[in-house]
Amino acid sequence: MQPGLSGEAFRAHVLAWLAANVPAGIRIDQPGYQEPDLEACRAFEAALHKGGLAGITWPVEYGGHGLTIREHLIANQEIGRRGLPESINSLGKELAGPIILAIGNEEQKLRLLPPLLEMKQIWCQGFSEPGAGSDLAGLRTRATRDGDHWRINGRKIWTSASPWADRCLLLARTGALEDRHKGLALFAMRMDAPGVTVQPIRQIDGSTDFAEVILEDVPVDAADALGAPDEGWGAAVRVLSIERATNRMYRAWRFENELSHLMRACRSDATLAGLIGSGEYHRRLAEIMVDIEIIKGYVEPTVERLAEGEAIGDRGSLMKLHWSEAHQRFAVLAMELLDQAPPGAGDEVAAARARFQSTYLRGRAETIYAGTTEVQLGIIADRMLKLPRER
Amino acid sequence: MTIATDDALAAFATTATSAVAQCAGLDPRGRARCLAEAGLIGVLAAEASGGLALGLDHAVPVLHAAGAGLLGYPLLESMLLAAALGERPEAARIVLGDATATIAWSGGAQLEGGLLSGTAGRAPMADSADLVLVRLADGAALVDATGPGVIIDAGDGLDLEAAECRVILSGATPLALLDGDAMDAILQGARLLWAAAIGGAVETCLAAAVAHTSTRVQFGKALVSFQSLRHAMARQKLAAEHIGAAIARSLMHPDDRLARAAAFAAATRFGASAVESALQLHGGMGFTWDIPMHRHLRRIRAWDAQGDAPGLHRRLAADLLAANA
Ligand SMILES: Cc1cc2nc3c(=O)[nH]c(=O)nc-3n(C[C@H](O)[C@H](O)[C@H](O)COP(=O)(O)OP(=O)(O)OC[C@H]3O[C@@H](n4cnc5c(N)ncnc54)[C@H](O)[C@@H]3O)c2cc1C
Repeated sequence: MQPGLSGEAFRAHVLAWLAANVPAGIRIDQPGYQEPDLEACRAFEAALHKGGLAGITWPVEYGGHGLTIREHLIANQEIGRRGLPESINSLGKELAGPIILAIGNEEQKLRLLPPLLEMKQIWCQGFSEPGAGSDLAGLRTRATRDGDHWRINGRKIWTSASPWADRCLLLARTGALEDRHKGLALFAMRMDAPGVTVQPIRQIDGSTDFAEVILEDVPVDAADALGAPDEGWGAAVRVLSIERATNRMYRAWRFENELSHLMRACRSDATLAGLIGSGEYHRRLAEIMVDIEIIKGYVEPTVERLAEGEAIGDRGSLMKLHWSEAHQRFAVLAMELLDQAPPGAGDEVAAARARFQSTYLRGRAETIYAGTTEVQLGIIADRMLKLPRER
Repeated sequence: MTIATDDALAAFATTATSAVAQCAGLDPRGRARCLAEAGLIGVLAAEASGGLALGLDHAVPVLHAAGAGLLGYPLLESMLLAAALGERPEAARIVLGDATATIAWSGGAQLEGGLLSGTAGRAPMADSADLVLVRLADGAALVDATGPGVIIDAGDGLDLEAAECRVILSGATPLALLDGDAMDAILQGARLLWAAAIGGAVETCLAAAVAHTSTRVQFGKALVSFQSLRHAMARQKLAAEHIGAAIARSLMHPDDRLARAAAFAAATRFGASAVESALQLHGGMGFTWDIPMHRHLRRIRAWDAQGDAPGLHRRLAADLLAANA
């Protein structure tokens, strides 16, 4: 990529790159789709980075492309529109990476960031524990200093991507449990360190993308401690609040891809074409369109604010609440429509049904992870509306 | 279009808020003068007609304040009509507050042999207006509301602040004609500005719900400490922000039909239910005439109908089907 591209010139680059480099069969909305395996996803994402479509805002010295969040938005719009595979390293790119950029030292940035973008190291996020979910500050996994090492003991759960991850962004306690938010530290823990046991957990869609991670006396190099021992919570909260507003920025456009895929599939079958043409579904379809516009209505102005260096506060909670619930509404509608197809419906209907059954099942997690719906509502009540608390 | 700076928009919001508050004690003609003196009616109108010739982004905070403050004046209609009339003399009269003007949003008239006949509806405050715009099959016609062949009678809408009227035309002479594009621009602008007004109403009702639940004590503690109520108010906030987000994006993409439609569609979808929720949080008090929750609810329902929310949704779905044929 030519250095320093911006705006529509950058979009032209993105379009040309995608036209030339998207492998056959990985677009989920196209005939001939074959679910890519882990290695195919890794290779494709590495190519995206090389082509200038990932790591866009990160400094060049750490493997990034040194552009702005506006270009990041452009790339994500085009990626979303094409129904490409979801990132297998989003926790690295959108959580661990930004945290390292925010509180890591120079040596850590140079060592950890480039392999992440090159997809040589996949990251997972070890925050939740069996006893600490919504109440994350109650986590008990302990980090104790042992010479030039830290020793980690405890349990993490629901750790996505941990079955294949190379590193874990680990939140662990260095102080007393009663201190809650204080005395929590972040580590870049190697997943192949002795004492790490990953026990995959089967999800409702049958896949095993998350696991329980048992940590027994795991040594972590002092050089892999990120920030100060009491800086973990503050950094995590700061980065999470931006991340909630910016992660998977392609979402609205991917959602559009899903909607038009659904429409094409319905069109391919006389029964379903009759249903969507009948007016019975018009209101719900239009509401989905508007839901998608609202997601864009959060994303695009937020990108402008961030590009201008403004703070975005807790807007991420609004956005997360909306997209998760809107996506679930869409999935319910897609299932309801496709379930009315006659038994002899063709391949397009079958492919769409496979896609949206998965969207429906996996969508149930969207109101649970990254802060449940109830937790987001609490954030809006406490921090945005500043409602008084019971004394 | 250039997007106005936040400071300029904040100044419009402040001016509008105080003018709207002042209007409460005035009759319709007094309100016209008050709003005109504050420079609000002419925000969109041509400079030659005494207007400021600004974009819709400047009208948004004005209508937001009008919605928030329960303004009883067809301000949205006056602003858009004054702009659509360009340099015609009626435009200046509207901008200066010398003439009050409104638009009949539903139904319309036929023009035959230079004369208008037919029945139009949903014209806010047409009973105190000097000028009314009625829709034609393609375009619109401006008539003298007090002239021959024009009968204004009470409509049956819910709004109490700017009550909807019916306009019955039998051989009325048009003062001016607008073409289809001009009427379309009015409608597009109106949808955005109704969204802004609905957003303002939602925020007022939410603030009332916060105030009420923070002071009302039941079970030995302030209602606001009950989580279900906190979450209900968080959802009202979410509704207001959805509307704001859709408006912001619509202003960023003035040529995108879907983005433009989304602001009104979002407002009609989330606005009334947010106000219903705020009413609920007031308990029995919320059901009383004196608490203005119902006033907001009534006019949001009227605006939904004036902008034909169901028809808009049908057209969006038709666009989607056409795009994926
Ligand atoms: C698919 C998936 C992937 C995940 N990936 C990761 C990951 O990679 N890394 C990681 O660290 N974690 C991950 N998580 C964990 C996720 O962050 C937690 O599941 C989430 O924070 C909720 O915690 P919990 O499961 O313990 O539920 P709980 O906190 O026990 O909540 C159960 C229910 O009670 C509600 N609730 C809890 N407290 C309150 C309250 N005060 N008021 C009202 N309602 C309340 C919740 O909203 C929820 O509905 C993942 C989860 C899922 C489903």
